Amino acid sequence: MATTTATLSIASADLLPSSPLSISASSTLTKADTTIGLHMMESGSGELTVAASNNGVVVKEATTAGIGTAAKVYLCNKATDPTYYIQVKLHDAILGRLYAGDWMFMPWVQGDTDAEISVEAEGGTCPYEWAIFKEGETMVART
Amino acid sequence: MATTTATISIASDITDYGFALSKTMTLTKAGITTGIENTNGLAIKKLAATTAVVLELAADATASGANKVYIRNTGSNKAEHVKISLNASASADDTTEAIGRLYGGDWMLIPWEANGTGHNIVAAPSTASEVTTIEYMTFHE
Repeated sequence: MATTTATLSIASADLLPSSPLSISASSTLTKADTTIGLHMMESGSGELTVAASNNGVVVKEATTAGIGTAAKVYLCNKATDPTYYIQVKLHDAILGRLYAGDWMFMPWVQGDTDAEISVEAEGGTCPYEWAIFKEGETMVART
Repeated sequence: MATTTATISIASDITDYGFALSKTMTLTKAGITTGIENTNGLAIKKLAATTAVVLELAADATASGANKVYIRNTGSNKAEHVKISLNASASADDTTEAIGRLYGGDWMLIPWEANGTGHNIVAAPSTASEVTTIEYMTFHE
């Protein structure tokens, strides 16, 4: 069983007027409804060019096997120009914008096979990297 | 100008070679290097029913900005979860805007489009037999 931990630290000395902000969180990534660790990982990197139309590229398709699972997704925009951003979508729903240097980490329940994650560069070419931690899959039989 | 940083570290023995990642970002406004200056503060909500509740209203943030949302299930029960969605009425996994499940101890930090009520952040616990405590905070323009 794999053990994967994700820790977070958020800090600011001056966002709150009354006191410094310090948030710490740590999670062991497990399969849905159990204490068994997630044991599959996929990762990659690439460059997103600005699409001519409002169409992004799919980072990961949702699958039938993935529905209702406890997958986690990490995504980072490695661009350096602050005006460049990556728009992240869950199927038709825009989740938000990752500006240069921004990263995100989220659970991904894959509610149905249409719940793909897609990304689209805006402003300029955005290098990016991603990783998905997930439960096992039944491999497709050879044809 | 406020300076707020967020650092993620992931460590795993998922392969024989291991996996490690660490990344720090500074939370800035859209398209510039000026730091995010607004927040609704760190909030706690205790949920004792499976009814979906709105954690954050999109109207409180700047639409299509560089907003961020942090949410953590502060519990330790890995058999129960709270489902996070982008829809005010979402309670099932297969709603179009379902994001994912936060089991006990799980956290998330995501960008937030915050463009209309369809982007309200909603939480729905999987159980009413125990209190689910959610910690959350938004950073917005």
